[in-house]
Amino acid sequence: MSPSSRGAHEDVTAYALGVLDEEDHQAFESHLMSCEECQAELRELSEVPGLLDAVRRDRSTSLTGPLDDDRTPL
Amino acid sequence: MLPVPRHLDSRFESAETDDDVLVEVLYQEFGPSLLRHVRKATGNDLQWAEDVVQETILRAWRNAGRLHREPGLLWAWLLTVARRIVIDGRRKRGARPQEVEPADADAVSVPDASEQALETMIVTDALRDLSEEHREVIEHTYLRDRTISEAAEILGIPPGTVKSRLYYGIRALRRILKERGVAS
Ligand SMILES: [Zn+2]
Repeated sequence: MSPSSRGAHEDVTAYALGVLDEEDHQAFESHLMSCEECQAELRELSEVPGLLDAVRRDRSTSLTGPLDDDRTPL
Repeated sequence: MLPVPRHLDSRFESAETDDDVLVEVLYQEFGPSLLRHVRKATGNDLQWAEDVVQETILRAWRNAGRLHREPGLLWAWLLTVARRIVIDGRRKRGARPQEVEPADADAVSVPDASEQALETMIVTDALRDLSEEHREVIEHTYLRDRTISEAAEILGIPPGTVKSRLYYGIRALRRILKERGVAS
């Protein structure tokens, strides 16, 4: 994946969420250094995971627990 | 909504030459905000959250040479690192039977409980308003502590597709949250 491809830019979201696989995580961080577009996007996205944690917190208190793979919780 | 005042810019520049100063500045300026964010992710487990913050700052120190000194980016970097540490920790905890300690209402002081409840409701509704494809990838990655490749395997779609859907899904989510006043 070349640093200038759309794919590299797209990783900004997964990076912000912290869910990139290690290799991609490292690669994206290098890309981020030189990509102002991604830097701007990352700043914009930085509050989204915290907001999603609100849903996680809610589920962790539910009786069935947060991680029941057989169900579609939403 | 970045908790970084403008006046810090000069301090970060001056910290550029000295890693120890940088760590000190990181702790002072980001420690409390980071702890607040991490606590949300650890379900208010303060001890765990403090460990995560410490590990995050430690990693920042190790990476001092390649860190972004611009406060907004530095903050984003710290959040991402902290998130990965929390996710790792939760996966390890999840792998063994977990003792669930009932939260002590006094020890875990949540000053803005009703605000949090409202936020939870709005975000839950926003997720419901997304397309199935978008909701699904958010659910199977971040909300289940899974990496892209793990989610791809479970969903039976290529990792690139997971990334792409996540990219557009999170954008759609952010747009909705913005409209409803919970994202800036
Ligand atoms: Zn980019």
